Amino acid sequence: MTTATTGKRPLGAVGRVLARREARVALLFVLPAFLLFLAFRFGPSIAGVALSLFDYDITGEIAWRGLDHFQRLVADPLFWRAMGTTVVYTVFAVPISLVLSTVMALGVRRAFRGSRFFRSIFFLPVITSLVLAGSIFVWIFSANGPWSALMSPLGLGGSWLGSTVLVIPAIIVVGVWSRFGYGMMILIAAMQDVPRELEEAALMDGANAWQRFRSIILPHLRPTFFFLAVIETTAAFQVFDVIYVMTQGGPANASYSLVYLLYDQGFKYFDYGYAAAVGVALFAMTLVVALVQRLVIGKQR
Amino acid sequence: MRVSKFTGVAAGIAAAALLAGCSAGGGQASSGEKHVTLWMYPVVADEATNKSFWDDTIAAFEKEHKDITVDYEIFPWANRDEALQTAIAAGKGPDLVYLVPDQLAAYKKSIAPMNDLLSAERQKDLLPNVKDSVTIDGDLMAAPVLTSAQPLVCNAAVFQQAGVAEYPKTWDDVKRLAPTFAAKGFSMLNYPASAENTLNMTFYPVLWQAGGEVYDKDGGVGFDSEAGEKALTFLTDLATAKALDPEALTTNVPLEQTAIAQGKVACTFNNAVTEVAPFWGKENVKVLPPLKGEKSVAYGTVGSLAVLKGSKAPEAAAAFAEYATGADVVKPFLTAAGYFSALSTTEPLYADDPLLGEVEKYVPDTTVGQLATSSRALMGVLSPEIQAALLGQKSPADALKDAAAAAAPILKK
Amino acid sequence: MTAATPTTTQALTTPDRGRRATGRGRSRSYRALEPTGLGVVLRWIWLSIAAILSFFPFYAMVVLSLKPGKVVELPGSLLPWNLSFDSYAQVLGGQNLLGWLGNTLVYSLVSVVAVLFLSALAGYAFAKKRFAGKEVMFWSFLAMVMVPFHVTLIPTFILMANLGGVDTYWGLILPTLANAQAVFLMRQFIEGLPDELFEAARIDGAGEFRIFLRIVLPLCKPILATLGIFVFLWHWNDFLWPLIIGKSNAMFTLTVGISSLQQQNVPLSTMLAGSVVALLPIFLAYLVAQRYVQEGVTGTGIKG
Repeated sequence: MTTATTGKRPLGAVGRVLARREARVALLFVLPAFLLFLAFRFGPSIAGVALSLFDYDITGEIAWRGLDHFQRLVADPLFWRAMGTTVVYTVFAVPISLVLSTVMALGVRRAFRGSRFFRSIFFLPVITSLVLAGSIFVWIFSANGPWSALMSPLGLGGSWLGSTVLVIPAIIVVGVWSRFGYGMMILIAAMQDVPRELEEAALMDGANAWQRFRSIILPHLRPTFFFLAVIETTAAFQVFDVIYVMTQGGPANASYSLVYLLYDQGFKYFDYGYAAAVGVALFAMTLVVALVQRLVIGKQR
Repeated sequence: MRVSKFTGVAAGIAAAALLAGCSAGGGQASSGEKHVTLWMYPVVADEATNKSFWDDTIAAFEKEHKDITVDYEIFPWANRDEALQTAIAAGKGPDLVYLVPDQLAAYKKSIAPMNDLLSAERQKDLLPNVKDSVTIDGDLMAAPVLTSAQPLVCNAAVFQQAGVAEYPKTWDDVKRLAPTFAAKGFSMLNYPASAENTLNMTFYPVLWQAGGEVYDKDGGVGFDSEAGEKALTFLTDLATAKALDPEALTTNVPLEQTAIAQGKVACTFNNAVTEVAPFWGKENVKVLPPLKGEKSVAYGTVGSLAVLKGSKAPEAAAAFAEYATGADVVKPFLTAAGYFSALSTTEPLYADDPLLGEVEKYVPDTTVGQLATSSRALMGVLSPEIQAALLGQKSPADALKDAAAAAAPILKK
Repeated sequence: MTAATPTTTQALTTPDRGRRATGRGRSRSYRALEPTGLGVVLRWIWLSIAAILSFFPFYAMVVLSLKPGKVVELPGSLLPWNLSFDSYAQVLGGQNLLGWLGNTLVYSLVSVVAVLFLSALAGYAFAKKRFAGKEVMFWSFLAMVMVPFHVTLIPTFILMANLGGVDTYWGLILPTLANAQAVFLMRQFIEGLPDELFEAARIDGAGEFRIFLRIVLPLCKPILATLGIFVFLWHWNDFLWPLIIGKSNAMFTLTVGISSLQQQNVPLSTMLAGSVVALLPIFLAYLVAQRYVQEGVTGTGIKG
């Protein structure tokens, strides 16, 4: 579907010169971004990852620990607890968010009176920093808040943030609320790309909305879904802000995520080496999942 | 391959920068002019008052010490540790910074002890319990600015509404009175159990009242003891009897939304009189001695100014710290913030204020507990276990045992 | 998009992928794809419900911030009367708001321009050029997103400190310019542009950089608009990095400054007033810019 990035140029002598020139220009174009990445992503990441093999404290003392931190990590029940919380959060928040994004995108993708208004409303949570919105959500989920009032008839009243069982669903709700608009916008753009003739033809063949979605729109969305899946999963694995402002990992560590563990170990207890080990574990997890997603969802080429 | 070469170079640069930053603040030849930077926080809530105090104090100090200039910056409470740590790690920390005892323990390696920097006279003037609270391994770590006290504070209006005529003095009193309050829909005690509350204000006073300690004398776990279990059981029994505000057990909400501010809780030992007086009405605030388990003990924080090791002008910084914390100089600061003097030689600050004057009487007897580098990490593992016990998910004995197990790797270091 | 032909701006800025048939023959089946009658009403209903749920937290924030000092109770506190601006007076009185606002604007705008330019350059190279190590480089860019922020925080700060960037604008901005998502989105978009456009210019003898400036960038307007908004917003809301790199009140950004007002025991209404003040500028900016965002998004081809 993509226009080929590799042209079908003949590679005679002239061709080779041109190809080398192209490569040089290309590298020049990539250079500024690449240098920035080296300095501020690769460099600090490697330093941060390397820290996991040492004990490092703020006075600058470094001591070699080898794999000690990782041994401690594996034996730490709080690590596994945080892993469980993070995984549960991701497993629910990402699909729900993607489904919601898709449904909303389908609903507002065509222009009609008010479509722009609705798109804006759904996008507002995306531009809202959770650090600033946290306090209103604490109230919403409190025992006297509107969410409890809504859930009372279902027998689920009371403060969700105070329940070790319901606290994760609560942060999932907030997490989804704050991100679904982003996916929605990206999906709207991707859906614009679907040739209308195809949909019209299917309609005339008698296909209903769901069938049209499944056989025509969905295949076109595959690469977009891959992109969104990786981005949303990475973000979900790194869930921190919403927990920091709403629950601080509680009650009784029920909403303690991996990045929260990292944060506590590094910035509260000054154990940077151990924190870096948590970071490495998280990075590895995210990478593995991304690779799996590539296999399953894949990119069209 | 080009990519890997770049990566190698980058890693080298990053590593070199990291190591260069590690040798924080090397010594430098002192010029005639000495410059001191102070990092302060909104101890006085009103920014204008806070600023004018420091402006005036610095102006007066600089007049007496013509070769020293002082700059200050007021930082938000939020994320102050990250800001401070990253600054210290990169050698960009201040000379002087406001710290509380737990921070003194955590930042111990970065603080320059003040044994020789603070005058002997001042050290003698400090209240003994205050001096203890800023001393670690015999080193005086900071110049105390203020102290507080957390005795028992009760709401007379609630007692009246519940028909209770006597105020509790001991744990037994509390256990006895709790059902009466519960029957009328009041909670007996305020106990905020969520993770962001420091145990110094919640569990540790109860532990100390039971005769227990957080650390044993070898620096190992001390709370997993008979006294510890007694303390936690006292609390869990209250929780089961509905004598503790359930919302406070799990969530921190803004003060005016809490049950205690709304007059639904009888007593508290973790709120200041200045906090509750606006809600209860001054006439309803009763200041009482701390509850007695085996002993009657209360927590009292200490705010202090510490000199950091990376400072290029430690003597100048200490001189300013001593000046700013002098009895007369610091008085407007204390009264604006509602805190108490750390010096034994000052007159009572609040002789005219019935409430603060009462609290002031308990100041010399408060404690900050034992200071250790692992204090915060220990609280981090103990607090959720206590919360779990209070929520009925574990027995107190199990909670303390699990906490002790989780604390083992932390204390090993 | 309405039933009429696309606006001229869209026609100029969006590459024609042969998917917009014009002419009357289209309108019949087009309308068939749209819901009618009951369908329209139903759509309005469920979109409105979703919009109410989505917007409710903002409404609550504003209303509760206008009810200082009261204990919040349902549903009374949510009703929009008995309002008072006291909390706002508390938040705004005597603060360096303009300074913070200025810092945030500098931080956000400069970053946007820099990120857009650099990621367009890189994205173009990744999309249209062949060179050794391309795939590895690209995927390593993306992999860096997976390293948690706090892990790189201290090494990044140490690096900036040693370069003398603490408490400066460039120290604030520079590390945030390494944006993998931006490069990714630019690459995706540019891949969808037909090669012929560049070939023609190349045959005419135009230099590569010229081609980039004169042809690629203009064609990228939709994605640049969208990406620009995302980057702007991310920088506007950024809290931890500006807090750490700035050491004085003069260097605070809006979010850091507002949070500095949150002392212990600040009432809910004051906290919310602070949040509203910090959010208002971007909401307004978004309302103004949303037309361009949406046109940009609908014109963006995010394909594989």
